[in-house]
This record gives sequence, C-alpha cells and structure tokens, in this order.
Amino acid sequence: MAKNDKQKSLLERLGESQVWKSIIRSGVPKTRRQRMHAILGSVFLHLHPARLPKHAVKVGYTWCMGGLSFFLFIVLTITGILLMFYYRPTVEYAYTDIIDLTEQVPLGIMRELHRWGAHAMVLTVWLHMLRVFMTGSYKPPREFNWGVGVLLMTLTLFLSFTGYLLPWDQLAIWAVTVGTNMARAHPFIGHEGPGASLLAIGDINLVHMGSDVRFALLGGRFVGEATLLRFYVLHCIAVPFIAMIFMAVHFWRIRKDGGISGPL
Amino acid sequence: MIDTFKSVIDALSTPTVSFTLLSIFTPLVFPPTDWFDKINRKFGIWRLWTKPGLYTGMGFITFFFVVGYFDPNFNITLTKPDNFPIILMIYSMFFFLWLGMSKAYVNDERIDKGLKPVEYNDPDDKVLVWPDLVYIEFISLILFMVFLIVWSILVAAPLEEPANPATTPNPSKAPWYFLGLQEMLVYFDPWLAGIVFPMFIIFGMMAIPYMDTNPKGDGYYSFKERRIGIFIFMYGWLILWLFLIVIGTFFRGPNWNFFGPFEYWDPHKVVPLNNVNLSEYFWVKMLNTGLPSNIMLRESLGFITVFAYMFMFPIFLAKTWFKDLFAKIGPVRYTSLMLFGLSMFSLPIKMYLRWFFNLKYIIAIPEWFFNI
Amino acid sequence: MSDEKITPAASVGESKTQSVNGNNTGRRGFFKWLTLGWIAFGAATGGFFTVMIRFLFPNVLFEPPQTFKIGFPENFARNAVDLRYKKSYNVWVVRDEESIFALSTVCTHLGCTPNWLQTEEKFKCPCHGSGFRMTGINFEGPAPRPLERYKVSISNDGQILVDKTKSFKWEKGEWENPESFLTV
Repeated sequence: MAKNDKQKSLLERLGESQVWKSIIRSGVPKTRRQRMHAILGSVFLHLHPARLPKHAVKVGYTWCMGGLSFFLFIVLTITGILLMFYYRPTVEYAYTDIIDLTEQVPLGIMRELHRWGAHAMVLTVWLHMLRVFMTGSYKPPREFNWGVGVLLMTLTLFLSFTGYLLPWDQLAIWAVTVGTNMARAHPFIGHEGPGASLLAIGDINLVHMGSDVRFALLGGRFVGEATLLRFYVLHCIAVPFIAMIFMAVHFWRIRKDGGISGPL
Repeated sequence: MIDTFKSVIDALSTPTVSFTLLSIFTPLVFPPTDWFDKINRKFGIWRLWTKPGLYTGMGFITFFFVVGYFDPNFNITLTKPDNFPIILMIYSMFFFLWLGMSKAYVNDERIDKGLKPVEYNDPDDKVLVWPDLVYIEFISLILFMVFLIVWSILVAAPLEEPANPATTPNPSKAPWYFLGLQEMLVYFDPWLAGIVFPMFIIFGMMAIPYMDTNPKGDGYYSFKERRIGIFIFMYGWLILWLFLIVIGTFFRGPNWNFFGPFEYWDPHKVVPLNNVNLSEYFWVKMLNTGLPSNIMLRESLGFITVFAYMFMFPIFLAKTWFKDLFAKIGPVRYTSLMLFGLSMFSLPIKMYLRWFFNLKYIIAIPEWFFNI
Repeated sequence: MSDEKITPAASVGESKTQSVNGNNTGRRGFFKWLTLGWIAFGAATGGFFTVMIRFLFPNVLFEPPQTFKIGFPENFARNAVDLRYKKSYNVWVVRDEESIFALSTVCTHLGCTPNWLQTEEKFKCPCHGSGFRMTGINFEGPAPRPLERYKVSISNDGQILVDKTKSFKWEKGEWENPESFLTV
C-alpha cells in the first residue's frame, strides 16, 4: 500500500485527494469492495444492486429497453424545459413560436430531439413491455410491478397525446378534436355517452355540453385557447409529475421484488 | 415483374384478405395446441426463428419499402416524417420478436433435454454492477443519443398549416400510436372504442399476471411451456394493435377509405358503405314489418346476442371445452379472463360482420347513445 | 392467507383487560372517536375533490357568439348547400324545395368537420368515413345519428338568425319542430 509518491499515477493521487474522497468515499473504485461501495454510496447508482447475476447484464436478455425509456424520459425533460423558454401556449403565438424555434435559434434541433425522442420513447416502452412479457417476468412476485409498468405505458401515451396539441397546427387540433371527442362519449359523465340522460333532475340535464368530462378536459365547449393552456399544463407539469411518482415505485419494486428476473 | 408484385400486395393488403391471412397465420406461427404445432413443423414455419428466417424477413420488409420508395403513390405516405417511427417500429418489432423467439426455441430444446435455460447462472457467481453493467448502460445510451441526434438533424419535425377549426384535413389521422384505436372507431361506437375498450386494454394487461397461473417460463425466454398465453398475447399485440396501426398509417386514405399501398389516393373513390343495423335486418328484411316503436322490443335480438356472447357463452365453455381450465383457475380468474378475452375477440368478429354483412350495430339505440 | 385466523396477541390482551375491569367505555369511546375521525376524513377529502373538480369548470367562457345573422333568405339557392358560414360559424345553410335549415358541421361520430362533395351530393367525414345526405341524415360509415340542426328564425330586419345554443336532433323527432327550419 505504501507506494512512493512519485510512482503514483495522477488518477491515484486524485483518488486520494480530500475532494474526491468527500464525493466517493471509497476512493477510485478498483478493488471489488471499492466498486460495490461506489454503487451503494451513490444516490443515483443505488437504483442498481451492487452485484447482479450474469445473465442480467447481457443486452441479449434485457434489450436495455427499460433503461433507454428512462433515459429518454430524462432527455425529453431537458429538451422540454428548453423548449418552454421560447414557447407561449396561446392561440395567437403558439404556431409562430414553433416556427421561430427552428429558424431563429442556433442549432435549432431541440424540437426535433423532443419530437423524435417522444416517438422513440413510445417504441422503447413497447419493446420493454414485449421483453418483459416474453421472458415471463410479470409472473409472481412481479405482478404488481407489471401493473405499474402498464400504467407508465399509458402515461407515456398520454404525455405524447397532450404534447401533440402544442404546435397548434392542423395535425394538432384535429388529432386532439378526435381524441377528446371520445371523452364526450364517456358513459354517464360524457354528454353523448350512454346513461348521461339518466342523470337529470326533471327536465334539466345535469350532464350537458358545458358540464361533462370533455368540458373539464378542454376548458370549454370547443378546442380553443383554454384547451391549449390546459394541455400545456398537463403536458409539462401534471402528467410528468404523476409519471415520476410511478417511475419511482417501478424502480423501487424492481429491487424489492428480487432484482431483475431470471431462472431459478 | 414489379407491377405484378405491386398488384399482388395491393390485393393482399385489403383488410378482408390481409386480416384473415394474419389471423390464420398467428396460431401457426405461435402454435397454441399440438395440432397447430404439427402444422407448424410440417410447413417448417419454425424456421422463421432461425438466422435464415431473420434474413428473409428483414429482406422482405426492406424489399417492400425499397419498392415502395420508388413507387410514386407509396412514396408519399412512406416518406412523411411522422411515418418514420412506423418503419422503425416494423423493423424493431420484427427483430426483437425474432430475438426473443429464437432464444425461446433454444431454451425449449434445452428444457426438453432436462437442462436449465441458457440464462441460468450459478447464483453465487455474480458480477459487479460497477463496472460490468454501468458501462453497458453508458454505451447504449450514448449510441442511442447519437442515433437520436442524427435522426433529428436529418429529418425536420413536421409542422402543418396553422390550426383551422373549419377545415378538417382529408384524411385526418390521430398520432400513429393511436391509429389502432382510430381503426377500432370505424367498427365500434366512441363510447366502446374510445372509452371502454381502452380501459379494458389497460386493466386487461394489468390483470395478465393474475389470470396467467402458469408458473413456468418465469425469468427466461420460452415458448413451449406457455404457448397458449403467448398466442393470446401475440394475437392481441401483433394483429389487433400493431397491424391496425400499419393499416391506419399506410392503407387508409382520403375519406378514411381503404387503399392498397401502391394505389393512388383518389379522394373521389366511391365505396358503398350502406350499413344496416341488426334490428333492421331482423324486422325489415326478415319479417318484412316496420321497426317496432318500443326501443327494447326493437333491439331485443341485439340484447339477446350480446348477452349470449358475453354471459351465456362463457358458462357454456366452462361446462364443456374449458372445464379443466375453469376447475384450475377458479371462477374469479375465469370470469375476468372471459371478460377481457371475449371483448378482445369481439373486435375481429365485428370487423367481419361489417365487411361481409354491412352490419353496423348489433344494438342500435342512438336515442340513448347506446350502440354496440 | 392464513393470517386472518390468527388473533393478534395485542387484541387478546385488550379484551382480557376489559373483561377484568368490566368497563366498556374505553372501547366505546374509541369507536366514537374512530367514527368521528372517519367522517372528518371523508368530509375533508370529499370536500377537496369537489372543490378540485369544480375548479375545472369556469363560469365565464370566452367563446365566439352563438347567435348570429346570416343574411336574407333570397340569398340562398334552392337545393344547394351554402358553405359560406362553415368557417366562421361552423354551420352549413341548406335550402331544399320548401325550407331552409342550418346544419351543424360537427360529425356525430367524433366531431371532425365533414366535406361537402357536390358531385356525390353528400357530406363525407375525412376522419372515419361517415357520410351524410344533404338533409343531414347519416347513411354510411360509423356515424351513429344524423347531423344536428340549429334553431333558425327571421329577425326584425328580415335576415335569418341562427341560434346555436338550441339544437334539434332527428332521432328525438325534433326536426318536426317549427323552430328547426324556415319555410320559404
């Protein structure tokens, strides 16, 4: 252990400095023990256990799709925050702000990264689900986590859907018109759904165009100013917030349900 | 030569043909019983999961897209920036399905011989996450980021004309991942296709681990040990979700009419779509009387049909073919399996009824917004 | 599992002490507080959710006016669909042999705006292929019911006044209502 100072490499010296040791207490992770410490001591890396069965690190088994989905969520959060600097969610400005993004900002591929990243995330989430199904990893004790995963997939699709409206182009408003009109047909709480006419006091319908679930989603009777703002808030804050809670549960449960699945 | 190929593909891709063919192929590709397995072996369909199978499949998809790229009609749909994810989806889904299934076949053989699956390792012989896993994750996310940046530089994010509430683009499509739902909306009323079925998909998927009581195949790729489960899932996933997305992207043109991929999108294509309700078939065509004014009487046949399909049919099955299954999984699991399973298979049933009998609704009560 | 059959030791001890003391007020009092606690909890959550849901429904909407004038009846040709007010007010004004009526441009399937195809004399919805006749009656595609008609009347200056707040549905027999068309 007692090496001469001159023989030590720069990295080794760095690893023994007070600054490094304050961050990673075990020094440069070189021995088995230090490497396990590096994982256990890091708030981010301790998502993982310190040791894994051999098959679990093979890309052929995991396809890495869950990890990529999480990575894409982070990429989308960062690019999304950057986009929010330029974008104003009003009918007047939304469309022109989107054009400005590509034309007046240097290296303006932020919107492309966000959009294609969102498409890619839908794919990686689906592939992750396919992998988990094909390896039978939803079986006990991981039933609950599969359910959380299904909800996360739904949230991914809902995030994509709410994001669709924001450019305020033809594609956006018609995709959203069709999507939200489904809510109009919600049984009992949509004004054109079965059973809605039963909810009435005398002649007065309780569920009508101005009081149903679609109205709550749109903030009005038509897709318009209020809708844009509501979808913006849902897309940027509400749904990511919920998704983050479920993601925390999802990752926690992977560890608690015995780590990554494998044959017994 | 190429023109023959195009017209064959156009003819094959008509939903009546393509959907039927795929529905027949699915049980052969993922054989749920010994009988299907025998046919699978006889025709060598299992070879799809070998390396030549991969090359053939990839080659065919590529050939299809290359021919499509040089076709003036298909080129328009194919090169739309928003359709690029679909192309990516077709390739990646096929590749990963192949990967999983080929691994499953290897494991099936090992298990037949009494060996442990390939994934099995000595539980005491573990690897360290740092560096063995962390660097794999790091490399894959760097590669993925590079891919994403290149994609973003090459393909500009599409932006159509400013929103105009008065003009609906023709055709007007939902985001690609919802095109399966949009296709469903052609056959079912919004309250079913837009609310109830999506709920059933979500809850049905969440219920999979509770309905599938087969303890085998946990944590490794396998097919033989859980073939019925895999077959049902693959039918729903590949045919009723992904294939409907492909239909919605490539085969649906102006006025939501059906077009072969190499066909010109003629906005004036006339397709007779005079749809008739079951009640009209029964009262007007069979009995030659007018529709009764009492709604319940008018739709009684529809109610009986739906009731028989959703409630009597499962009871009948539980007493006959599914007797063993019912005894094994118990009434609660059986009921939910039947609820989700029969709802899932009601989609192809309704599609065929629409195609062959122009049947619109089995129960048609627009007065109450209650149509099935 | 089998846990239900096992009586937890704590509760056994509790009932024992109570029977020894012969005094049930402790338990009764506990249940009283428990009930009160649950009521308070229910009221708080219920109240919060009511407030939250009510918050989604504003009292004032900033939407275009729903009542508007569209000119004189003579301006509309017989047996034709007038597309002039589609963009501004989302209505088609249709004049047939004896009447004028205002059709909603909202497809009854999922709310897309159909296109009027003059050669085929039908409204065709681009979203899911529903088709409607000039009268608004649905005849093809998934649309479950005909297009809605709006209230039309003649205002004081002789122009046609369309009131979109009142709609008439065919399947409820409301097209017979004299307010749903103008006889000319």
